[in-house]
Amino acid sequence: MEIYRIEELSFTFPEQEQMALSNINLTIAGGDFITICGKSGCGKSTLLRQLKTILTPHGKRQGAIYYKGQPVEEIDGRTQAAEIGYVLQSPDNQIVTDKVWHELAFGLESLGYDNSTIRLRVAEMASFFGIQTWFHKSVTELSGGQKQLLNLAAIMAMHPAVLILDEPTSQLDPIAASDFLETVKKINRELGTTVIMTEHRLEDVLPLTDRLIVLNEGVVIADDTPQKVGEALSKLNHPMFLSMPSPMQIYAGVENDLAWPVTVKEGRQWLDAFLEDKTPASIAESQPSSKVDGPVVIKFKDVWFKYDKHGPDIIKDLSFEVKRGQFYCIVGGNGTGKTSTLSLMSGILQPYRGKALIGGKNPAKMNAKELFTNNLGILPQNPQTLFVKKTVELDLYEMLSQLPLTKEEKVAKVEAVVKFAELEHLLSMHPYDLSGGEQQRTALAKVLLLEPKILLLDEPTKGLDGPFKEKLALFLQKLNAEGVTIVMVSHDVEFCAKYAEVCAMFFDGSIITTNEAQKFFAGNSFYTTAANRMARHVWSEGVTIEGVIDLCQRSR
Amino acid sequence: MSTKQVTGRRLSRRTLLAGLLIFVVIPATILLGIFVLDDRKYYFISLLIVLYTMIPFAMVFENRKPQARELIVIAVLAAIAVAGRAAFFMLPQFKPVVAIVIIAGVSLGAEAGFLVGAVAGFVSNFFFGQGPWTPWQMFCFGIIGFLAGIFFKKGLLKKTKLSLCIFGGLATLLVYGGIINIGSLMMFTSEFSWSALMTTYVSAFWFDMVHAISTVVFLFFIANPMIEKLDRIKTKYGLIEP
Amino acid sequence: MRDSFSTFHPFVNFLYFVVVLLFSMVFMHPIFQVIALISAVVYSFMLKGKKAVRFNLLYMVPFLLFMAIMNPVFNHQGVTILFYLNNGNPITKESILYGVAAACMFVTVIIWFSCYNVVMTSDKFIYIFGKILPALSLIFSMVLRFVPRYLAQIKVISNAQKCIGRDVTQGNLLARARNGITILSIMTTWALENAIETADSMKSRGYGLPGRTSFSIFRLDARDKVALLIMTGLIAMVAIGAAMGENTMRYYPSIKASAITPFSILVYIAYFALCMIPVLINMVEAMKWKSIESKN
Repeated sequence: MEIYRIEELSFTFPEQEQMALSNINLTIAGGDFITICGKSGCGKSTLLRQLKTILTPHGKRQGAIYYKGQPVEEIDGRTQAAEIGYVLQSPDNQIVTDKVWHELAFGLESLGYDNSTIRLRVAEMASFFGIQTWFHKSVTELSGGQKQLLNLAAIMAMHPAVLILDEPTSQLDPIAASDFLETVKKINRELGTTVIMTEHRLEDVLPLTDRLIVLNEGVVIADDTPQKVGEALSKLNHPMFLSMPSPMQIYAGVENDLAWPVTVKEGRQWLDAFLEDKTPASIAESQPSSKVDGPVVIKFKDVWFKYDKHGPDIIKDLSFEVKRGQFYCIVGGNGTGKTSTLSLMSGILQPYRGKALIGGKNPAKMNAKELFTNNLGILPQNPQTLFVKKTVELDLYEMLSQLPLTKEEKVAKVEAVVKFAELEHLLSMHPYDLSGGEQQRTALAKVLLLEPKILLLDEPTKGLDGPFKEKLALFLQKLNAEGVTIVMVSHDVEFCAKYAEVCAMFFDGSIITTNEAQKFFAGNSFYTTAANRMARHVWSEGVTIEGVIDLCQRSR
Repeated sequence: MSTKQVTGRRLSRRTLLAGLLIFVVIPATILLGIFVLDDRKYYFISLLIVLYTMIPFAMVFENRKPQARELIVIAVLAAIAVAGRAAFFMLPQFKPVVAIVIIAGVSLGAEAGFLVGAVAGFVSNFFFGQGPWTPWQMFCFGIIGFLAGIFFKKGLLKKTKLSLCIFGGLATLLVYGGIINIGSLMMFTSEFSWSALMTTYVSAFWFDMVHAISTVVFLFFIANPMIEKLDRIKTKYGLIEP
Repeated sequence: MRDSFSTFHPFVNFLYFVVVLLFSMVFMHPIFQVIALISAVVYSFMLKGKKAVRFNLLYMVPFLLFMAIMNPVFNHQGVTILFYLNNGNPITKESILYGVAAACMFVTVIIWFSCYNVVMTSDKFIYIFGKILPALSLIFSMVLRFVPRYLAQIKVISNAQKCIGRDVTQGNLLARARNGITILSIMTTWALENAIETADSMKSRGYGLPGRTSFSIFRLDARDKVALLIMTGLIAMVAIGAAMGENTMRYYPSIKASAITPFSILVYIAYFALCMIPVLINMVEAMKWKSIESKN
């Protein structure tokens, strides 16, 4: 059965000339799992919001959208609320009430069901999602991933026919994200609910996807099975192809006419088939690290830390060194103490035993001016925590307001940083009107105004899509080349493998292993890049997509 | 057409209710208090009157079937006031609640001002403990927000720092201090006397003064940025108009 | 121990507290006062254990004494003059006793409220008012959700600001105040901008459709009905007693309490039983458990 039919849809935001969506024609069949992808600002969210009138933004719309054969704007609010489920991006913002049970019942209360019906539906959903144990909890006690599952369960309690998800995992860590996507898959498979979702994490989503739609500047440029779309994008040489899963990218980089792989498993099978009549190329001698050893700028020696006197140890016997000019990445699971380590570096927290030194001094004893001017710069996880003023420009100047500089010097500094972070066209905008990647860049620019020698970053790639990550990496490499030491805490294995110089694995309050990025990931078997997992049975040192492509090409 | 009818009905209902309260329920309470409650009458009469004044606001608000965005803005402002009170927990009487309530009244109108105040007063006691003072605090915060909204509409209060600070200081000292002290006096004594009231005022003067000064300080620093932010939200998302 | 009175229907809990609070505030008769005070103290011990002992001894006892002294200083009514103050005002026996009674009443009310705060959690309150004030109780629920979130966010912002050298704990007073206000200001923007998505989420789940119901996890079962019935009976007894003047107590100009009669003793017992309901329920429950355990 056809759920949605979109005909000649175009949409323009008020006071804007360019169309956010133009000439979109789509038919969505019941039970399909549809993924929509595209760069930030390509119109994905705008398109999804057209599918439920109550969420549609103001603007000029042309064309028509039919839900089950009826124009969507003629469908009454009650039907839309019940049948079209919509999960938004932020796990926190969607939760309205203070108790889990109340949140689950919220939609059913709106629909006016009686107590016993709600009780049954809520019980069913809690069991289906396996969340019975938190039923009486306060929502504050839940983790980010649990909150997003709760949001999904609260929608599913209304028994929607179609589930629309707008980047639901962008704020989650990888483990929580794959749990969430597993649940979405279960809903699609076991309940037959149609799923329409936008997502950056294509590695995880494409194996579930029946149909992949690629949007670019408001136009549909590809719409087919993931394999076919990959093929088409690679033929077009489109930048979106860089967001496709590693096996597809490796496949495209190697001349062959086998079937397109999507998952790591298919990638392995493809690689085996590809290498069947060839001898695998040997790995080129890894060139010795070209960087000269600089002096140590961050030194942790036998550091122990806990939040409470009687609480558990968060950091246990942690020792490591970062040398000047290094690009140092700390990877590891949630709650292992990575962010606490950053706070120890910045002097916000203090160890109860051992020493944490920045440039040979204890950061907790230095005054703010000494520590944070020309020395340590920190980009917090949420860039919004730095924005104070109503435009980007004022916000940048605010950063310098407490420094003894002349007006000309300030203007020169701001201009330089604006040029560096490419913020020229954003200066007059409100920081909250920027996209995630733009906010990240503005926050980075703010931090850079203090001219740090050491830059600490907490999950800088969270919620960013492929092209923006690439851009961020370019900025970081530029800074690194200028001699800035970079320490980054991240879940993003692919990003670290591609750009970091040294990687360290954090587990249970301490660093388990440290090595140069390539060797580091070559030594791990699970906690490593998709390219490595796909190729490690042949080349354990093939870590990046480029590396594996190169090895394939050299195999004869 | 239909909206007009609704407003018409709403107004009449509000008037009816107000009339009922003023001419029937309040005198009845006073009489009941005098003849039945004997020496506890002052406390109960005053407490009930405080509660009655809050009822019409609640009724009007409920009957209006407020929009999701309206609820959200009121909840956000009340939560900021409560979180602010909690953040400055260490400094007694140094509370941003009145300042935020006044800003709410000025930018969102008298009704929203009252609700933000009353809700903040009520919910903050979920965190600090409910007590016999709860209704009085709700009433005082609420009425200040209401007055701020009314004065702003009548042009007596402007969105300038000076005007807001003067109003904030006076409102905290006279309205909040004035009413809350009556409440605590009534709780203890059986007889109402002007000298006892004066004594209460004098003994509480410095508490009220610190509270008033804190309101002025907060208004001085946060009034403009907050009003600006609320205006932005109002225009960007088409929120409630005062 | 777990309080089994808290597991009763919210309406039972709420009715109990409204009634005991009201009676504690109205009845100035010493026997009624003592009954209420003892019950409140016992129940607070049961609910909070050691913490209640400290609270009651550390704050309530000094307060009681202070109030007892303060009343006669300002109030000079009464016929039995004990002595005169330096300024010529008389100190009377009646005003001292009234001071004690008022302080006792206040302390009782505070202790009742300390029990109320443990038993009447926010979700019970929201349940009771959810039917008459749906929009406002939703606001309460939202505020209760936002406040912990905002407090956490204030911490996050303050750390982020610290990292760019804007520390509330450093610098002179003006700089600190300015940084504190900056944090509040960032918080406000963040809260308002993010709230828009919350509003979207509400609308998306049909908020604003006519005929909204209010769901609860509470059910009025037989046990609750029995408790209600007993409470109503006891309340009626006490109310009849009050109407008959059994609780009348006059302090000024001279002290006069209604005499103790067989009927009045009945009223006292009813009042005592009413105030002790939670304690009795807890005791019965504990005994039941003991017998179940001994059988196993």
